[in-house]
Amino acid sequence: MAEHSILIVEDDRTVRELLKHRLGKHYNVATATNGQDALDHVESSIPDLIISDIMMPKMDGFALQSALQSDKNTRVIPFIFLTARADEPARKQGERTGVDDYITKPFDMDQLLSRVERLLERVEVFQSNLDAEIGRDFSNRLLPDRLPDVNGYRFDFHAEAHAQGGGDLFDWVETDQGTYFLTIGDVMGKGLRAKFYAYSFLSYVRGTLHTLLKESTSPAAVMQSINEMLLSDEVLEDTFASFLLLHWNPHTHTVTYANAGHCRPVLVTPDGPEIAEHSDLILGLEEDTSFSDVTLDLAPGGALFAYTDGLTEQPGRNGNMLGEAAMRDLAAEAQDRDQPIEAIRTGTLDRSAEDDFQDDILILWMQRSPNTD
Amino acid sequence: MSFDVETLTSDTAIVHVGEALDFRNADEFKETFQDYVEDDIQNFILDFSETEVLDSTGLGSIFSLYREISPQDGQVAFADVSRPVQVVVQLTRTYKVFRQYPSVEAAKEALTS
Repeated sequence: MAEHSILIVEDDRTVRELLKHRLGKHYNVATATNGQDALDHVESSIPDLIISDIMMPKMDGFALQSALQSDKNTRVIPFIFLTARADEPARKQGERTGVDDYITKPFDMDQLLSRVERLLERVEVFQSNLDAEIGRDFSNRLLPDRLPDVNGYRFDFHAEAHAQGGGDLFDWVETDQGTYFLTIGDVMGKGLRAKFYAYSFLSYVRGTLHTLLKESTSPAAVMQSINEMLLSDEVLEDTFASFLLLHWNPHTHTVTYANAGHCRPVLVTPDGPEIAEHSDLILGLEEDTSFSDVTLDLAPGGALFAYTDGLTEQPGRNGNMLGEAAMRDLAAEAQDRDQPIEAIRTGTLDRSAEDDFQDDILILWMQRSPNTD
Repeated sequence: MSFDVETLTSDTAIVHVGEALDFRNADEFKETFQDYVEDDIQNFILDFSETEVLDSTGLGSIFSLYREISPQDGQVAFADVSRPVQVVVQLTRTYKVFRQYPSVEAAKEALTS
């Protein structure tokens, strides 16, 4: 956990140094000698908590607190007043909003410390609950609420979010020709920031896919446009993503894909599982990257298994990441199972040193039924 | 943990990446190279000899470095790439962008001569 920062505003040097010394053992402490000095400090760096005296030269504690209240960026900083007995009537007279605590001088240091700790804890719990809630909301928006339903095929999908997860995304669209365009991606980075970029990014891809697909159903051509967008858009600058675009034609039983640095899918053939080898550079790095299409045939009973790096990077028993070879074995095991995705999930955890996944995971399994021609 | 950086010439530096470059220290890596980029360093040799962990956030921070220096024809070279780093580089096909050298010495020679 990052060290919290506390700003102490106090004109009495002895009290100021005492507070700095005691709080400095647990927190990152800055000091100011009056309200104006404190405001200057807050302008350059917002502390996690302010402890302020009331009676001070230049600008007193009340004026400081009012000034902080008038700005939405500083209004939320937890605020503790140190009051002298003589200030009691003034304090009672004006019940001030936005003051979290009053501590009367001479104060008991342990009591002050415990109040500071409680206050910071409360802020932290609130913040992490909020982050978790926004994260879940983004995660839900990054995944579809229904799946393609095609005769002669089973189409399974599973995603689960991890608190420390990143920006996995999946989306699909049916074309006018009754074929399907699938998008799987992973926006680099972890936590809320990655999820936010993944969300912005997917919104763009969803928005343009419709137009792009009128011109071409080539995943490589679409990939090219996405890469150019990523490199020219200022908001998405510094965003990198691995992408797997699949054009699935259930009539010809083919899947044409372009892969921009994404985990390579596994094709299950009558001869066993094989890695779909071809892939190109990850998105967002080079302007003139070229991408190519590769077409795979789905034999009766054959399947395609695509996933994100939460699976391959899961630590194995020997401490190394499971890697691609394990994915090939998992596909072979899942092929004849009623619930292939569940087989992959449990198969991964069986091979792992951990009881649970350490990252977001996303699994897509599409299989042609054995009895179609 | 901070990164150990050696300046070789007026435009080239070596960054000893150390044991891990991941979501925990990627921001620090960015701050580190930023200071050197401001001092006109445009070629970076990344020494991966001791690196056991390179996750996607860490790799992303290297991409940011590349994006920053590539308009000035700068280079990011990977030296003495460890096995875990090799896996990530293969997967993302980034060996197409980052030249790899068997050792820091070989990278030094290639970039400074």
